[in-house]
Amino acid sequence: MVADSGSSRALRTSRRLNEPRPALVVATGAGVPRFVNRQSVALLREEWRVVDRWWTEEPIARRYFDLVLDSGQNVVVFRDEERSCWFTQRA
Amino acid sequence: MIACIVIPGFELRAALRLRPALALEPAALAPEEGTEPRLGPVTAAAEAAGVRPAMRLGEALALCPSLVLVDPDPSTAEREWEGVLRRLEDVGVAVSGAEPGVVYFETRGVERLYGGVEAALKKAVGAVGSSWDARAGAAGRRFAALAAANVARPGQILVVSDEHARNFLAPLPLDLLPLDESRQQELRELGVRKLGELAGLPGGAVAERLGPDGRRAWSLARGGDRRRIRGRRPPAELVESLEFPEAVANELTLRRAFTVLLDRLLERPDRDNRFVRKAAVAARLVGGGSWRRTVTLRNPTAERDRLRAAVGPKLMELPAPVIELRLELVELSDSRGQQLELVRTARAETGVRLQEGLRQVRASTGSGSVCTVVEVAPWSRIPEARALFVPRDD
Repeated sequence: MVADSGSSRALRTSRRLNEPRPALVVATGAGVPRFVNRQSVALLREEWRVVDRWWTEEPIARRYFDLVLDSGQNVVVFRDEERSCWFTQRA
Repeated sequence: MIACIVIPGFELRAALRLRPALALEPAALAPEEGTEPRLGPVTAAAEAAGVRPAMRLGEALALCPSLVLVDPDPSTAEREWEGVLRRLEDVGVAVSGAEPGVVYFETRGVERLYGGVEAALKKAVGAVGSSWDARAGAAGRRFAALAAANVARPGQILVVSDEHARNFLAPLPLDLLPLDESRQQELRELGVRKLGELAGLPGGAVAERLGPDGRRAWSLARGGDRRRIRGRRPPAELVESLEFPEAVANELTLRRAFTVLLDRLLERPDRDNRFVRKAAVAARLVGGGSWRRTVTLRNPTAERDRLRAAVGPKLMELPAPVIELRLELVELSDSRGQQLELVRTARAETGVRLQEGLRQVRASTGSGSVCTVVEVAPWSRIPEARALFVPRDD
């Protein structure tokens, strides 16, 4: 309907909030984290899986861990089972 | 004189702008979802294979199995058509766009500017652009101008004088009349195949047999009325759009995105406090097509809630997931008057202070530094899909 007039039609792109950030995780043989960003894990509070969008070209398969580190910090990490790497993210 | 410029199969040509190679292959505009399965305009290659516009889909595919169906792209068509109208306005004609692909204007204002009717039409056809294969016709009456443009070859200009109009129309087929197929068939069965044959019948008898539509067709076959052409009011240029990181089909998400776009548009300084008379919501769909709906408001308004209530429900009609949503204020009122509150509430005062604070942040850190968090799918199991960060420059 409207011709491109340059400045009056700014196209601004939104971005996602709470994107996963890469994390350095050392895990046990069972895949449970022992160290997160070089801090040892004191307690595993909860564990869950998210499997979604398997019908798309970007399927999601994640194993989440809600952890307490030795420093007392609460952290949520997940292993991306599609890409075999670890991330932190606020759950 | 009244001039008419026709671009045959405009919707198909517009839809093929992104896939020009298809223009040389048998292709046709696919029927819109929920309508009768009949083809829209077809390419020359399809026509050579026996496929005709308005043919039933099954029949066309049986005739030409390699026929490519092109999804309608109303958003692109409307944008391209607006471009055509603006180019015509740039050469000085006051256009009245009847429908995409057909435009009328009075030549009187530009005849002296360009040195005659033909020169003015040549200029207008040149302004439309050679890629559209536009044809032009001019006559003393609107229908005769339309008929002349339909008969002309691509790029040709056909001027029909008033005294020759009846003779010019007489041998032309009935297809040019705005009559539905069943009425045309009825006329053919009565042995009436040309405009001249219809024009030669008594008007009262035609009205009795075919009703008001038939009477109007009869009047057009005799040249039509002498109504003047009124130039349109050029539309406003206020557009905001939002691209999604991934296709969105959820109604709540779309409504929230729509609200963000509406807020942005209402805050735009170039709206200049004018009220919205007509708005359009458009979307780019995941499959490559587009979608668009326009809403004309009974009373022009700049109230966010009224606009939301009027335009928002159109989002329910979206046929597929969306990758970009656009909101356009197509027409604004001339009036700017607004009754102010006698006493401003404390909340409004806080809002003004907040706006001022944000303005200062933006001034010191630059455009795009102030963002709003918009919850798009708070129930999602994927944390990063729950909310978006949307820049606000208002």
